[in-house]
Amino acid sequence: MDSGVPAPPRTGRSRFAAFGQYGGFLPAIVVFGVFFAAPLALIVAYSFWKVVDYNVVHDWTLDNYRYFFSVGTYARTFWATIWVTFSATALTIVIAFPFAYWLVRYVSKRLQALLLVLVILPFWTSYLLRVYAWLNILGPEGAINRFLHWIGLTSQPVSFFLYDRPAVILVLAYLYFPFAALTLYASLQRFDWNQFKAAMDLGATPATAMRKILLPQIKPGITTAVIFVFIPILGEYLTPQLVGGARGVMIGNLIANFFGVGQYTRGAAAALLIAALIVALLVVFRRSLEVRDAYAP
Amino acid sequence: MPRELEVVSPHAGLARGAFTTWAGLVYLFLFAPIVLLIAFSFNANKYGTFPFTGWTGKWYSQVFHDYQIKDALTTTLRVALFVTLISTIVGTAAAFPLVRSRLPFRNAVRVGMTLPIMIPGLLIGVSLLVFLTNVFHVQLSVWTAIVGQCVYTTPFVLLIVAARLQGFDAALERAASDLGANTFNRLRYVVLPLIAPAVFAGALFAFTLSLDEFIITLFLIGGSNTLPLYIYTQVKFGITPEVNALATLLLAASLILIMIAFVLPAVIRWARQAVRVRATR
Repeated sequence: MDSGVPAPPRTGRSRFAAFGQYGGFLPAIVVFGVFFAAPLALIVAYSFWKVVDYNVVHDWTLDNYRYFFSVGTYARTFWATIWVTFSATALTIVIAFPFAYWLVRYVSKRLQALLLVLVILPFWTSYLLRVYAWLNILGPEGAINRFLHWIGLTSQPVSFFLYDRPAVILVLAYLYFPFAALTLYASLQRFDWNQFKAAMDLGATPATAMRKILLPQIKPGITTAVIFVFIPILGEYLTPQLVGGARGVMIGNLIANFFGVGQYTRGAAAALLIAALIVALLVVFRRSLEVRDAYAP
Repeated sequence: MPRELEVVSPHAGLARGAFTTWAGLVYLFLFAPIVLLIAFSFNANKYGTFPFTGWTGKWYSQVFHDYQIKDALTTTLRVALFVTLISTIVGTAAAFPLVRSRLPFRNAVRVGMTLPIMIPGLLIGVSLLVFLTNVFHVQLSVWTAIVGQCVYTTPFVLLIVAARLQGFDAALERAASDLGANTFNRLRYVVLPLIAPAVFAGALFAFTLSLDEFIITLFLIGGSNTLPLYIYTQVKFGITPEVNALATLLLAASLILIMIAFVLPAVIRWARQAVRVRATR
């Protein structure tokens, strides 16, 4: 900005200038406004509307939500979804944090970039295929159970590796690991390790230094990682569908089923429950989120 | 810098070993499923799983001769082509005002435009489904799927191009303007050549994302099948070695495209330099 070269003189055509400045947004407004924001707004409305004789009537009601929680299976699935999301997020962070810590602390700068790319690479390959790959591994006939049987460790398939809720949690941690690792890495890399050293010079054990110096400073990074992992997991459809079996069903599957059979208002209510959870999460953590004006001059 | 810490702690070696082991396990966790998938695709066992009964390329030749897969591939490529074209234009155009204008609430606009990456694709899919079929009464087709995918891919292009625009010296454009270039010429001879690598990279990312997109497409494409949807319908009947082979091919395709996208800007820079050197000789 401050390059010393004077800005081109402004002509009188200020309306034209304004178009030049903001005109680039026009196609984006169509894509994001018409095909993203408007449909989401419509879903919100649908969740509060009634269906009379297979037609959606614009009468405001809470019936769709009441219906959702009045059916035992749906209500249980809702709580199960929250539980699975929490567990999968926790597992992802528990796997990713020591990894990111290792990368920043024990690996040379040049190698860091390469090892990080290796972590991100799977993210760019097909999401469906990454879930599919686990079908070979889990299940009664999967690689893990066959391997355990083969080396004589077990005679029955181990239930943890069957198509069930634990399998869903494991695969979700696998899918969202790159998000968490990347965010935690970025946060740890900005940390000033001299402080860690100073704490230890003053007699702190590494564990104390980590708890009292490191963790408080990278808390925003951890929060960001949690949010990046938590939000997409809430709306998971494919993973529970493929490796969840009968008990691994999540709310995403319910939503898909509602829309699949044309119960749009009920589906909308279930979808809005997810959206409400996301918004609640963002509001709770808004202060500790690392969102800055990336393009500030 | 972190290395100097080693001297201070008596158990440093132990901690280092533990963390390194953990990292090794993490890489095993990340790559074992993919490696096994690739290995099974060459396994002669017709159930597509353990045990290994010998190497074969049979499943690959089946993939190449399956007409359903050919159909799905054609659809996938058609969708990806249009998605790439649309999201590259829309994302690039929006990157300019996002980076350069004196927009109030610019940060909010940026977060808003990257929201489609953040929120679950399921919500994008079902909301567009209701919107298009119940409000506009549109028949589901390849085109509705293209629209849905664009919502998801455009933010990626936008972010990549905006990052490039951000790092670009505005004085260059002012200098061109001082030398008498009009808006079109400034764009043609100064701005576009400078952001071209980012635009190409963004286009490749969009293409790859479109090839692999599953959930939005599932709700919006109607009767047609893309490759991910084809695999999904096959998987419902269990794992087959043919799907393992197809999956391996798709994985390889997206990995190659992504590596090109990462490396391309550097290659373009290098090629330009080479041309310039020859020109000055």
